[in-house]
This record gives sequence, C-alpha cells and structure tokens, in this order.
Amino acid sequence: MKKFCSFCFIFITAVASADVAVIVNPSNASALTDKDIQRIFLGKAKSFPDGGNAAPVNIVTADPLREEFDDKVLGRSSSQVTAYWSKLVFTGKGVPPSEVNDASAVIAEVTSKPNAIGYVDVAAVTDAVKVVATF
Amino acid sequence: MKNLYLATGLAMALVQPASAEVRINGFANLVGGITSSDDSLYGFSDEIDFSEQSLFALQVSSNVSDKLTATAQLLARGNEDFDVEFEWAYLSYQVNDKVAITAGRVRTPLFRYSASLDVGYSQHWISAPNGMYNVPANNLDGIRIDYSTFQGDWEIYLQGAYGTFSNPVFGGDFEGKNTFVLTAEATYDWFKVRGVYGVAKSTLSGIAEAEAALQAISTASQPLAEYLRLDDDTSTFSGVGIDIDHFTWFIGSEYTLIDIEDSFFSEQTAFYVTAGIRRGKWTPAVTYETFDSNNDIKGLSFLTPFPAPVQQALLPAVAGVQVVNMSEYDILSASVRYDLEANIALKAELTKRNDDLDSQGDATLLRFAVNYVF
Repeated sequence: MKKFCSFCFIFITAVASADVAVIVNPSNASALTDKDIQRIFLGKAKSFPDGGNAAPVNIVTADPLREEFDDKVLGRSSSQVTAYWSKLVFTGKGVPPSEVNDASAVIAEVTSKPNAIGYVDVAAVTDAVKVVATF
Repeated sequence: MKNLYLATGLAMALVQPASAEVRINGFANLVGGITSSDDSLYGFSDEIDFSEQSLFALQVSSNVSDKLTATAQLLARGNEDFDVEFEWAYLSYQVNDKVAITAGRVRTPLFRYSASLDVGYSQHWISAPNGMYNVPANNLDGIRIDYSTFQGDWEIYLQGAYGTFSNPVFGGDFEGKNTFVLTAEATYDWFKVRGVYGVAKSTLSGIAEAEAALQAISTASQPLAEYLRLDDDTSTFSGVGIDIDHFTWFIGSEYTLIDIEDSFFSEQTAFYVTAGIRRGKWTPAVTYETFDSNNDIKGLSFLTPFPAPVQQALLPAVAGVQVVNMSEYDILSASVRYDLEANIALKAELTKRNDDLDSQGDATLLRFAVNYVF
C-alpha cells in the first residue's frame, strides 16, 4: 500500500509539473514554430526566421524548469543536452546558450535585449515580455 | 617547430583586451581496465591499469572579433605519460550563418564521432570502435570549411578539409600530403545519413624491418620494390554511416574502407553496429565491430618473369612486409552508462575480441570509466 501511494505521489507531481512559456522581447515580431525554438536552443539556427540574430538564454541545470524545458521542447534529458553541446563546444562548432540563475534573470535579460529568447514558468510571465509558445 | 608557431600565434590571439570573452572548457576521462589472465587489449593487461585510456583536456577559446574565434585545446593522455600537447589549435571565421572557415590543427572529419572522439561524456560507450577509429590521420594541419543549411525538415551539413598529417606508427612515421576530405551529412529528426570520401599522398618511413625487406627486394626487382614502398602513394578513404535515434532507443552503424593501392598496405575494411536504450539515467548498449585487412598478397605479377628459384627466394620478403599489417577480427561489447550529474557520467564496458587469424589475439576486457565535462 505504501508503495502504491508513493507511486500516486510521483504521478501527481508529474501532472502538476510546470508549463513552460517561451518568451521574447515585445519588439520581436518573429513568428516561431516549435522547430524554430528547438533549432535556436540547439545552436542549429543562429537567427530568428525574420533574420535577426538570436541570443538564447538558458536557466541553470539546478532549476527544475531546465529539465522541464529540455524534456518538453528539446525532447532530451538535460544530460543528453549537455552531451550534445560538449560535442559542439570541443569542436569549435558552437557555444551553448548563456545561463542565468532563475526566472527573474531570464525576464530581465529578455526585457533588456531585443534579440534574446528565453523561457520561464507560465506563472512567472510578466507584461514586459512576449510569450511565443507554451509547452 | 610548426606547433610552436601555431601555439604562439594562438596565444597572441588569445591575449585580448579585458572586454573580450574568454571561455574555458574542459573534459576528462578516467578509465580503468583489466583483461582476463594473459590477455592484452588496447594496451590493457591482466593487471588493472588506470592510465592507458585516461585523458584530461582544457580548451581555451576567445572571440577575436564578432566573427573570428581562436581556440586551443591542450590534451594530456595517460598512455603518453600525461605529457601535455596541443591537440588542436585553430582560428575559426564565421563567414555567415551557414559557412565557417577553420584554419590550424583540426580534427579530420573522417568518422561519425571524429570531432568528439576524445570527449567520452558525449558518447554512450567508453571508447569508439578501436579498429575503425584508431587511424593515424585523425588530426590535420590545414583548413576546413563547414557548411550547414536546412532543406525543409532536413538539416544538411557539408565539410571540406585540406591539409597534411603526420603521425608515429609502429616506430616509424606515417605522413599524408595533399589530403582532401569531403563529408556530407543529412539529418531528419531521428534519422541521419553520412558519407565521406578522402584522398592523400602518403608516405611511411623510418621502419627498419620494412626498409630492410624492401632493400632486399630491390636488388632483384627495382619496380617491385618501388611498387611495395609506401612513398608518396595515393591513399583513399571512404565511408558511410547511418543513425536512427528515437531517444528512448537508438541504433547506429558505420562502414569504412582504406586503401593504398600501389603499396604493401593491405586494404582495410571496418564495420560496426551499435544499439542501445535510454531509460532515465541509464543507457545500456551493445556494439559489434569487425575489422578485416586479410587480403591476397599483392605484387606477385612482378615476380612472374623471374625463374622459379628466384621467385621462391623473394616470396618471403614480399609476403612478409604485407602479412605484418594484415588482421581479421571481430569485437563484441556490452556497455552501460549512468548519468550521475548533468556533466558527469559513469560507465562500465565488457569487451570480447575474437581473432580470426591468431588465437593469441583473443581477449576479454573489463573497463570502468568516469567522464566529466565543464
């Protein structure tokens, strides 16, 4: 019974997990598909579909939202994303997105830089940023 | 000496005004291994060893300008007494979103995992299939052009490299001039296909036994000795690869062929297939590889004009220089990776080598590894 309950608990936590909102600067008029977002955060695309240079912002792996984003948007575990980037970094083919500590730092970055793109918990979204997708 | 110039140039490029961003990254593989009694494989023996495949690397890169990046990678390998060497040192110019030009010492884009060969963390196994990946042309001094683009849902990636390489083999030196390598890769979500073709003018020198044998042959037939000698001869490299990665499971395979027709070098074919599953932090996988350079003795037509006794006398030398580099074996490995942290992985791998030519080459090896990146 105990085992069953802990199983319930895991299940409930999974359901209650945060929705991720991908955010850009309000001045950014790009329409972004899920694939565009994926490509920008994996360094496969260096600019927005409308041509502007893209500056993705990540949250540190210590924040559970990072695992959430990696899983839902990039379709891999955070370890796999690190492995992916280690291939590019050590071959001079790419530099991973800059990392900040928490949602407020992401919002600050996206608010101040017209070409920044980041993600936060939907509950943390403010008027200063524009949501382009939720996962 | 050339290295020194390269290093100095890069060091100068890396000395930047305080405003320029200098990135320091690194990786380490700590690998311990032991074979079953009296076996030996990849430098491991039946006494546990921690240095043979261990390595530590530090990479420093800096943006010289918006488009120009200088990168140097220092690497210390356990099987070279952890002597620190410049594995790579290059300047990279990002022409636009699609094209980058890199000059200096770079990894030759021969294989699927060439670029990240030393970064154990990026792979599911402890080391890439040795028969295929352990070639003396892995690093190239020259220039590489990378081109990447999208065609609908497909990602297209082309690489062209030109340069020279030089590496010690069997106590001698294997050198390649005018090396051209072209690579094409197409990726569709979970599917990747890759093709590569390369040529080089290669020379093998400094191996006393081979020199002695060729000298003996040349006294009877100069043309035969010239034919066998690996001196500025055209060598070709071709390969194909396929990967299917559905994240929860993956399967990948590569096939490569190396030939130096006008020489004693015996054509090498290498193949592997690897498959694994990803379950949370665990990635168990199996890998099967084959290697074959066991071919007919070449150059026998040069002997036909000679009377039988002369043929008999020459044959051991002609066959001898070729047979030493012939082998035929297969290797089966079972490995497991565990993601301890977002940048640390633990691995274990059991490898069984079955030699088709010499049962002395049969071996069983157990390895453990810690891979780290920062």
